[in-house]
Amino acid sequence: MEFSELIRTGQAQAELLRGPEMPPLRGTLCVTGHHLLLSPGPQATPDLWLLLLRSVDSIEKRVAGDAGTITLRCKDLRVLQLDIEGVEATLDIARSIEALSSLESVITSFPFFYRPKGLRLGEAWHFHPPERYYKRIARETRAWRLSEANEDFSLCPSYPRAVIVPRAVDDDALARSARFRQGGRFPVLSYYHAPRGTVLLRSSQPLTGRQKLRCAEDEELLRAVLAEARPGARGFIVDTRSAQAAKQARMTGGGTEAKAAYPGWKRLHRPLERGRPLQESFVRLMEACGDPEQSMDRWLSRLDGCRWLSHVKEALSTACLAAQGMEWEGACILVHGAEGTDSTLLVTSLAQLILDPLSRTMAGFQELIEREWIQHEAPIFLLFLDCVWQLGRQFPLSLEFGEGMLLALFDHSYASPFGTFLCNSEKERCLCEVRTRTHSLWSGLNQPKEQRKLRNPLYVPNPLAIWPSVEPQSLRLWQGLFLRWTHPPEPSEVAWEKVWQIATDQKTEGSQPTDSASEPQP
Amino acid sequence: MASAPTSKYNSHSLENESIKRTSRDGVNRDIGEALPRLPGETRITDKEVIYICPFNGPIKGRVYITNYRLYLRSLETDSALILDVPLGVISRIEKMGGATSRGENSYGLDITCKDMRNLRFALKQEGHSRRDMFEILTRYAFPLAHSLPIFAFLNEEKFDVDGWMVYNPVEEYRRQVLSWIHPENKTVIMRCSQPLVGMSGKRNKDDEKYLDVIRETNRQINKLTIYDARPNVNAVANKATGGGYESDDAYHNAELFFLDIHNIHVMRESLKKVKDIVYPNVEESHWLSSLESTHWLEHIKLVLTGAIQVADRVSSGKSSVVVHCSDGWDRTAQLTSLAMLMLDSYYRSIEGFEILVQKEWISFGHKFASRIGHGDKNHADADRSPIFLQFVDCVWQMSKQFPTAFEFNERFLIIILDHLYSCRFGTFLYNCESAREKQKVTERTVSLWSLINSNKDKFKNPFYTKEINRVLYPVASMRHLELWVNYYIRWNPRIKQQQPNPVEQRYMELLALRDEYIKRLEELQLANSPKLSDPSTSPSSPSQMMPHVQTHF
Repeated sequence: MEFSELIRTGQAQAELLRGPEMPPLRGTLCVTGHHLLLSPGPQATPDLWLLLLRSVDSIEKRVAGDAGTITLRCKDLRVLQLDIEGVEATLDIARSIEALSSLESVITSFPFFYRPKGLRLGEAWHFHPPERYYKRIARETRAWRLSEANEDFSLCPSYPRAVIVPRAVDDDALARSARFRQGGRFPVLSYYHAPRGTVLLRSSQPLTGRQKLRCAEDEELLRAVLAEARPGARGFIVDTRSAQAAKQARMTGGGTEAKAAYPGWKRLHRPLERGRPLQESFVRLMEACGDPEQSMDRWLSRLDGCRWLSHVKEALSTACLAAQGMEWEGACILVHGAEGTDSTLLVTSLAQLILDPLSRTMAGFQELIEREWIQHEAPIFLLFLDCVWQLGRQFPLSLEFGEGMLLALFDHSYASPFGTFLCNSEKERCLCEVRTRTHSLWSGLNQPKEQRKLRNPLYVPNPLAIWPSVEPQSLRLWQGLFLRWTHPPEPSEVAWEKVWQIATDQKTEGSQPTDSASEPQP
Repeated sequence: MASAPTSKYNSHSLENESIKRTSRDGVNRDIGEALPRLPGETRITDKEVIYICPFNGPIKGRVYITNYRLYLRSLETDSALILDVPLGVISRIEKMGGATSRGENSYGLDITCKDMRNLRFALKQEGHSRRDMFEILTRYAFPLAHSLPIFAFLNEEKFDVDGWMVYNPVEEYRRQVLSWIHPENKTVIMRCSQPLVGMSGKRNKDDEKYLDVIRETNRQINKLTIYDARPNVNAVANKATGGGYESDDAYHNAELFFLDIHNIHVMRESLKKVKDIVYPNVEESHWLSSLESTHWLEHIKLVLTGAIQVADRVSSGKSSVVVHCSDGWDRTAQLTSLAMLMLDSYYRSIEGFEILVQKEWISFGHKFASRIGHGDKNHADADRSPIFLQFVDCVWQMSKQFPTAFEFNERFLIIILDHLYSCRFGTFLYNCESAREKQKVTERTVSLWSLINSNKDKFKNPFYTKEINRVLYPVASMRHLELWVNYYIRWNPRIKQQQPNPVEQRYMELLALRDEYIKRLEELQLANSPKLSDPSTSPSSPSQMMPHVQTHF
């Protein structure tokens, strides 16, 4: 397929409105295979404005007289308006954007064409291989081993090739357990909490169905987890569905672990919203934030009605529950919902941030995302970022990365020149050769020039667990994201700059700069 | 090197005082150590009580009452709880339970405070211990009703800095006319009360002429702008009681705008609702909707919006402005002082802010005594209202939106509010200057600014970047206003963050380090500059003066 077939027009004269705080840009508008370009001429600043077409979420067109208007709603929550000369030109440009922004094919997406100066292909993909983390745990504990049972993705298409499982369980047993779990997502280790010798596991729901089926190997796997942790160790299964929903899942072949079948494990239900209700909550919040009526009197009840902050609260509380189980009770934790791909990851990754100081470093956080987040384009990843932002607000010194990092991850997860967030699983990524044909986001973000935006200059390594307050009074709307395009960020940028100034003064003149060696090691 | 610091003529440090006191107390040393005391503070009584903590349940403790504070220390081994409450914050003391009360801890005292909390103590039913405590507390918390002096007149604290010297009206007016003059376009902000128009539409030639003269001082535009802080209907209604507003016929060179800010009673009720949803337990479900139903943030929004209009009129509209409400000391003070903060960066410094409070609030007759009720037992007085608190909240909102624009930090605003009630300092006592002069407040009491200015570092905002001519317009949209959790919900331990102000703490360290390095750098440069006197003979040799730098990192 040629992009040129989808591009209906060469160029047109247009004016771009980027929101209340920014001056309009006027110039020549042009659509390319991956971008929308506006060139205001050489004297103007900026002299070129670029938008990745993948970031267009929806497009509206209107024509009147001999001109037209295109409104673009972007995935990064921006709303852009283009006033274009000529009715034909407007319609052609709109059609081109529509066609190009909705291309399904992964391998024609921009990351496969993006070749920035100074970066070598394949460079940063090895920064955070999950295998390295797993190998370390296998070495440290002797109770866990790296299994290559999923080498050809036959056990579970959505797991990576290498997974970490109890040493006592062989690959055949894993295969049986995989058949007993939805999508083949058998229980694997997500995090080893060394101070208490306990582990955090994740999986999908067991396929017990109406007949209340059991699987000896699956039961053996979880028994082995407790046995390896400590004689007499207990475990909690945090089910992210309500007891009712878990029971109902049996009708469609799913279900939950029967008490009698898994001695030592206790089930807790902590329902978290996912899928459609979460999406709707997000859309309502976006509408409220984008409402041009500035002096809304009912803003707070509207914000309340969106329920987004309740989702933040629920996610953080459930993560706290899992973390407390490990830290305070010395228990092992298994987290799953139904598929084990959305709210499950939310809980396991937040629990790690709460407990593990390493995951709060720049490199550790990148590694965490590589390991836990294989899904994207769902508001659940945004919910995760929002929760991390709340952690950072409550513990301003404990995260090595700042709000800039979270915003960058949000933007790149929706539309990016980098390949890191492409595809839905390791299997697809291998098929598309993402690792050899696109650049890793980390190689882009870890460039020195980006660091000032992304790092938290106040960071001091904090060896303790960080227990967030989840009272509604302690949770805030993430203005930096949700009101990013309606309110100038200037004052906070000035403050940020000041922070850096002081921090760098201290570092360059300081006698022993102990920068916590967080650059990724090859 | 800089000249040697001149030694203070009379440097009575706090430490000296406390040493003197303990040796004088002699036998009471153990109690003296258990109980912090200010010079001039005397212990009245102590009692064993059960403090009914709304967050952690009943705690056995010993309560000490002095003529300044109520101090409670836990007697339980697993609790380090300490309560330290100036009696000035007490608004009401009630007895709970009677002689026949049976339930556990149901007999005792319930104390309502002006700073968003209540304290409950359970006492034994035998031996009149409740009656004693009730009477002593009542006497010292409400001294005015018992012909006792307010504690500020007994306080013998000494500070290195005299806070009463901060504000010198003559000097300030050499800088500024009332209240503020724009440095370039020479437009002014003035304040007054409502005109006494009444139902018959009275006029006053002199008043009309006076406003016309104000208008003429600014040559650029021929209209004067009058902001009436009240909602339009209230202004009309005020005609019935002899007040009113400037009519077009009488003041034809003036434009009149109403700013829709409600009166002191509405504000008092609104804050009461805030307390209802945050103390002792915070409203969990539908928190934001409950917050909205208090209307507190909406009132904040209206006050800020009004101040923005005043500031903008002066700055961009190039028109002189007169601001008034009914009396001219509540909403007017809020509007003029906030407008001045927006227009003039000087008032955003620590001293500038102190002067602003001194000038626009204290000097211009905001009725602090009536609004706060210092030492007065009439808790239901309709004159009480959190107008000054509301102003400080607006300042906090601005400081949130412009993190680099203010020299002071949140702690500075909170300490001002704490001592608004505490009666430890004379700063906020009395309703007006004449009463203060009669009581010789500046001679007989200590100023709050003495405490703050002797300890300025604690109150500095590390982000502060001095900018001279920057006008700040905060966004007064509901979306950008938030509840000041660190003030209104500060008693709830579950809302607290990991440590007190970790960012600031870290910043102060960084700043201190930076200052050290800059100093050291200067000294090194001096040392390296050629042909300087032989360092070994010079007494102020840089190498000897090298400060010891601690590395925290």
